[in-house]
Amino acid sequence: MSDVLLQAENVGIRFGGLQALEALNLTVRDKELCCIIGPNGAGKSTFLNVLTGTLRPTSGSVRFLGHDIAGLPLHRIARLGIARKFQIPSVFPSLSVEDNLKVARWGVPSPVRPVGDLLELVALGNRAATLAGELAHGQKQWLEIGMALAIEPKLLLLDEPTAGMTPQETLATAEMLLRLKGEFSIVAVEHDIRFVRALNCETLVLHQGRRLRSGPFHDIETDEMVRDVYLGRR
Amino acid sequence: MIARDRNWLLVFAVCVGLTIVYPFIADGYQLTVIRDALIFGLFAASLDFFWGRTGILCFGHAAFFGIGGYIMALVTLNDAIPFASLLGMMGAVTGAAFVAAIIGYFLFFGGIRGSYFTIVTLAMGVICQQAAVSWSSVTGGDSGLIGIPPIEFDVGGTHLDLSQDLPSYIFVSAIVAVVVLALWSISRGRWGTVLTAIQDNEVRAAALGHNAPLRLLVTFVLSAAIAGLAGALYVCMAGLVAPDLSGLLLSTEVIVWVAVGGRGTLLGPVLGAIFIQRAQQTISSFNPSLWPLLLGCVFVVIVFVLPDGILSIYARLKALLKGRRRAS
Repeated sequence: MSDVLLQAENVGIRFGGLQALEALNLTVRDKELCCIIGPNGAGKSTFLNVLTGTLRPTSGSVRFLGHDIAGLPLHRIARLGIARKFQIPSVFPSLSVEDNLKVARWGVPSPVRPVGDLLELVALGNRAATLAGELAHGQKQWLEIGMALAIEPKLLLLDEPTAGMTPQETLATAEMLLRLKGEFSIVAVEHDIRFVRALNCETLVLHQGRRLRSGPFHDIETDEMVRDVYLGRR
Repeated sequence: MIARDRNWLLVFAVCVGLTIVYPFIADGYQLTVIRDALIFGLFAASLDFFWGRTGILCFGHAAFFGIGGYIMALVTLNDAIPFASLLGMMGAVTGAAFVAAIIGYFLFFGGIRGSYFTIVTLAMGVICQQAAVSWSSVTGGDSGLIGIPPIEFDVGGTHLDLSQDLPSYIFVSAIVAVVVLALWSISRGRWGTVLTAIQDNEVRAAALGHNAPLRLLVTFVLSAAIAGLAGALYVCMAGLVAPDLSGLLLSTEVIVWVAVGGRGTLLGPVLGAIFIQRAQQTISSFNPSLWPLLLGCVFVVIVFVLPDGILSIYARLKALLKGRRRAS
């Protein structure tokens, strides 16, 4: 299984008396797209933090290309090829859109894709000189995706990429990701079912820190148990 | 961006022009006054290079100035050391950088930022001053060391003696101009842009592959090295070194110079240092107790009315006029 990029095995994490995650497994293969969904407080963001190495799991392991990444400094993880988009749009407000991408670009040794292409890709070609702090919310989200792409990752982790977006923007974001699929692996944590439906990929459903279901999205969508959890019946 | 660079270079050229013209209209005493003010200007620029770009305030920057000064004094007062001026300056720069590297390493890699950093560096300044007072066998204690010789160099067979007013003025001006220009070109390029990014959001910058603590550390060390250079120059011009040079008062004053001149402009702090010291001399000769009061008031007014310093007056006026025109 040489094409396995990221492997989380039996991951558990405990904050004091709270078992936030328990016995989670996830395997991301090269150029694969997958989603992690679940209701509020299911542990999605915590799981993502473990996958990016920012949180050290209390049990189990996370290996990226064979390296154990738990507890590595953030910039080392980025250099290994893991890019991350935060839940709150985290751009550099006092730099221009172009400089935001350049700062991201300077973090990698030998970039291939020109900054101009990135600008077009995230639909900000005409806003290059605008200060990132002055962008609309959805544009900030896209800029941050652009910054994550600028480091030319092997794996892109997205934490609620469409939070606060209009339905049109959400679908546009899904289209953007589908276009990028095949260049690298993508793991998206999402709340918005429309977005996940548009991506229509392998999906892991979390509930109270555990795996509830996993499989292709159309199987998940029709699953009674998942519906119950989402509708708050359990 | 481009227009801002052009404006900066324009102001820089005007300042260099004034510095060149000044010896023709001033007498020897006035030259030494400006020369010493320029040294403090260099010190202010060194603080601004760190504070202006990282947004982290060092409240003990005089420690590096003092360390530079004491090392220079000890080297040049020792007759056994050849090329004392040159070695002294190198030692001053290295010594200040070394102390900054050790302290900075633990602070930056330990995740100390913001006001915690300010408080620790404040303590560092106090410790340095106390060490200078207590370690009297080396530092001369409270009274410091006197009789430090002026800088002299042998460059390619010609002897450069800076004991006279004009040569020392030219030497100091040249160093200040070169260093400020160098710091400016560093801070406007890639290095400065990444520092701004780190200031905006350090976690994000790290998640993009930038080693933020290392970058902050290198900037801090460079800033301290230049403060050390300024300290070395100062003690040679003044002929003495005393514990005050690494004290809290000087650390506070340099912050005021940078704030008044305009944080992040590098040139503004130099002008702020010259301007405030001239004002201090004039007002103190009139009534010595008036100065601290006035300085405090000026600082408060600047922080409230012109948070970007005196260099921003022009931009502020322009924005104000524009707004008025639009309103009418």
